[in-house]
Amino acid sequence: MATKAPPKPARPPKARPAPATAPAPARPASPGVPAATGRSIREERLTHNGKRHRAPKAPDLNPLRKGLRLERVPDPHVMVLFGATGDLSHRKVFPALAQLWRTNLLPQDWMLVAIGRRPYDDDSFRDDIRKSLTENSRVPLDPAVERQFLERISYHRGDFDSEAMYDSLVERLDAIDAHHATAGNRLFYLATRPSDFPLIVGQLGRCGLDHEVHGGGWRRIVIEKPFGRDLDSAKRLNREVGKVFRESQVYRIDHYLGKETVRNLLVFRFANGIFEPLWNRRYVDHVQITMAESLGVEERGSFYEETGATRDVVQNHLLQLLTLVAMEPPATFEAEALRDEKVKVLRAIERPDRTAVAADVVRGQYGPGWVAGERVTGYREEHEVDSKSETETFVALKLNVDDWRWSGVPFYLRTGKRLPKRATEIAIQFKDVPHRLFESAQSNPEPNLLAIRIQPDEGIVLRFASKVPGLGLDIRTVNMDFTYGSAFSTDAPEAYETLILDAMLGDASLFTRADEVEAAWTAVDPILDAWLDEPPPDFPNYEAGSWGPPEADRLIERAGRRWRRI
Amino acid sequence: MVEEGSGRGGGANGGRGSAGTVGGLMNPGMTRLGEPVMRWSSRTHSIAGVQEELERIWGSISLATPGSVPSAAAGRPGVAEGGTGGTDGTDGPAGVNPAVEERRVAARSSVMNLVVVAGRGETGERAAAVVHGLTGRHPSRTIIVTPADPDGPAWLDAQVQAHCILPSVDSPETCAELIYLTAGGESGQHLAALITPLVVHDLPVTVWWPSEPRLESSATKDLLDMADRVLVDGAGWSGDGLDRLAQLARLPGEFAVEIADFGMLRQSRWREAIASSFDLPRLRPFLGAIRSLTVSYAAGDGAPRSTNVVKPIYHLAWLASRLGMTVVEPLKASETPWGGYHGVVRSGRRHIAIALQPLESKVLRGTTLEVVIEAGRGPHALEVRVTGQADGITVDTTVDAEPMPDRHYLVPRRHEADLLAETIEDAGAHPITAEALAMAAALVGKPVPGHRLGARAA
Repeated sequence: MATKAPPKPARPPKARPAPATAPAPARPASPGVPAATGRSIREERLTHNGKRHRAPKAPDLNPLRKGLRLERVPDPHVMVLFGATGDLSHRKVFPALAQLWRTNLLPQDWMLVAIGRRPYDDDSFRDDIRKSLTENSRVPLDPAVERQFLERISYHRGDFDSEAMYDSLVERLDAIDAHHATAGNRLFYLATRPSDFPLIVGQLGRCGLDHEVHGGGWRRIVIEKPFGRDLDSAKRLNREVGKVFRESQVYRIDHYLGKETVRNLLVFRFANGIFEPLWNRRYVDHVQITMAESLGVEERGSFYEETGATRDVVQNHLLQLLTLVAMEPPATFEAEALRDEKVKVLRAIERPDRTAVAADVVRGQYGPGWVAGERVTGYREEHEVDSKSETETFVALKLNVDDWRWSGVPFYLRTGKRLPKRATEIAIQFKDVPHRLFESAQSNPEPNLLAIRIQPDEGIVLRFASKVPGLGLDIRTVNMDFTYGSAFSTDAPEAYETLILDAMLGDASLFTRADEVEAAWTAVDPILDAWLDEPPPDFPNYEAGSWGPPEADRLIERAGRRWRRI
Repeated sequence: MVEEGSGRGGGANGGRGSAGTVGGLMNPGMTRLGEPVMRWSSRTHSIAGVQEELERIWGSISLATPGSVPSAAAGRPGVAEGGTGGTDGTDGPAGVNPAVEERRVAARSSVMNLVVVAGRGETGERAAAVVHGLTGRHPSRTIIVTPADPDGPAWLDAQVQAHCILPSVDSPETCAELIYLTAGGESGQHLAALITPLVVHDLPVTVWWPSEPRLESSATKDLLDMADRVLVDGAGWSGDGLDRLAQLARLPGEFAVEIADFGMLRQSRWREAIASSFDLPRLRPFLGAIRSLTVSYAAGDGAPRSTNVVKPIYHLAWLASRLGMTVVEPLKASETPWGGYHGVVRSGRRHIAIALQPLESKVLRGTTLEVVIEAGRGPHALEVRVTGQADGITVDTTVDAEPMPDRHYLVPRRHEADLLAETIEDAGAHPITAEALAMAAALVGKPVPGHRLGARAA
């Protein structure tokens, strides 16, 4: 079993200018070494401990917060948003921040410095944000609340590669600290192209903006996916980031983990006693994870040409869902414990060799067809797509998780664009009954199934057999269906709200750790490698609006199973 | 809010013969996004009749669930156009409309039994309106019971309704039942006997008194025996409300119930604002060095004990219970006009003066106007002044006579439906409520027996 400790990112020495405010005091003799006082080490330690661990005067937590919505609110801080003029910032980040502000979950002393290349000033940038808030807000904002929110945003113009921009940023941040209680706390948010990450991170390091000094506040950095395009580039990126930031300062967003239903997966598995005993190779026949999209590549043609479905969805979203389904119960509900368990699952995924890739992985690309009553073009005819493109828009694969719990239980994953509908679902297919008692029944009951719908119609379905009322004995499969909408208010936060608030609070549970990213690439890399050498035979091989190429059906039917109709 | 069907529908589900009994499906095709629609209404005169009606509702509604497109959603992208034939129940028998494609199933869902004890008819109507607002969030079986004519002969009048709501375009319709019971004569004295057969088993029972509860009566005690949660609005009680408050605080010990008071729930925006003042690490130590707590409230006249002070007391009680204080001298009403209430609590060895101060104001009597916290540590002094406005709460903090920037929390006042939803979402004993209620009883000099006051909650 692979129980190797996660690789510690080496922290190379670096030259860092002393903080502008005060020169670092000369380092005293190492505190661990007792001074020559004649006391034993044990005595020394006891007295030191006595001094150091005296109960702090100020309680760590605000006692008045107990029982309120949040027992802790984020510390006052400055958020520095790189790529603030981009699409992601406008569609997701600002609306999420505005909702957090609306519900008073942000500290009053919260400021945002938006960085972009375009020529805005504070006012014109705020006007722009106001417009996108109107379009993208989950709950409309009261004008007064919106004004308050926008007042906290300022615009800082500059190129990501210009040193002068970072120097003036340092001054600007110091000036904000002087007027607000932000106390040196910084949240850097990189909503930029991934190719800019190393540059920005390096510059932040040059200016000492990563540096957490004692009493000088925390520094955290949020990075958006993709985290590399294969194992090598992911390692390179992690190394670049690791040169400047410690792993505990880095928050890699996979917004899928912020979705309510995905978070509920943990609650479902570990807050219920009756499912966990069944959750293993003894009772589970196989697991299917589907993430279907009805959309095509839209305006992202050039991006998609570079990525393809495997990199875009399988490596991150689908494998994340798989880890949540397959992981062992963590010892505590803490970020590291949780992520340790997820990494273990990723490490247990069997790496397919060339023959296994050929047999167990199916790729596809859509041709023209009909989706939702509309005629749509094929992938090769999409904007910015090569007319002989070999990029896959559909992947179906079988993975084996080789550990004590799952050995021999196949995990079938599939994702694709231009499928008949948009749906994400995890289905746990249980084994059939060992003995068919009701042989006279006209139809054999299907084995039990537990389906967790992630979108749309979030909910959980349990399928079981039931007798059809009547004199004879006929059996039909029925569903016990739980939908979120009918049991809870539908006012669930957006994934980005959850994740940004967590990053502000310093809770990394729902963020991907460096070794997790690398382990996921390790699982996917052999597939990408095998494909490099073997061009796809027959692209496009499925019609838009169908459930993928026929090979995908054969992949699962070989074992006498079939894909769920969703 | 609720669309009343103008006629009776449903040939097969029509009237049942007995005098005045009408019943059946209504509005089979009408659904607007987010607005409850009455789908069933019938009348009967016995508990057995109510049970029968409840069974019939679900048989019929699932058959007649319209697949029609909600009119408000017509024209939205992603919603197919659909017929809305037979929409208002007046044009012929209702039932399945074959022209309409079956798109969704009405899910009957209940999260609790809500028993509303309405003193008068209009209280019941008001409560029903609040419950309708809740259908989409927390569909429940609601029983609104109104005792009437206590000296007359025993009789019962029951109206059974089903209300459905379409929470969003792509979710199933959810339905909930509403039963109006008017109990005349002696049957009004045995409420538990009326209600027990009608609650959905296995679901929690919440008893809500929108008006003043008679907590000492035997009928109430029977109800409390079957209740899991009790919901009151202490700010609406007569007099200064303090005797009833002390009674309320004893209920969790006597019955296995949790208490929720709208008066206390309404203050959550205050609590958030007050707590946020002490989020700043440098101000937090002042919490251990409080010298006085003063709450001013609106009073019409200065006469002693004439204004309901339940809400102002809750502020003091919450702060005192959270900060682990114990009562030294309970609050005592001053006999001079505009004198308010004064008392002393203790935190460690430090005595803290507490006061409720009436102020002349045009706003509703008993409303909190301001909460002032004064603290001093050595030479340093802190004053936190929290004031309420219609649209939010303002916090002024002064450290050593130097004002910090004002902070204004924009939070509109919430409606009863929101508060009711909140109590349901906060299922389980809410630490704030339980501790603050016990502290409130101690503050008015009637501590709950056996409650360890001042023992800091873990």
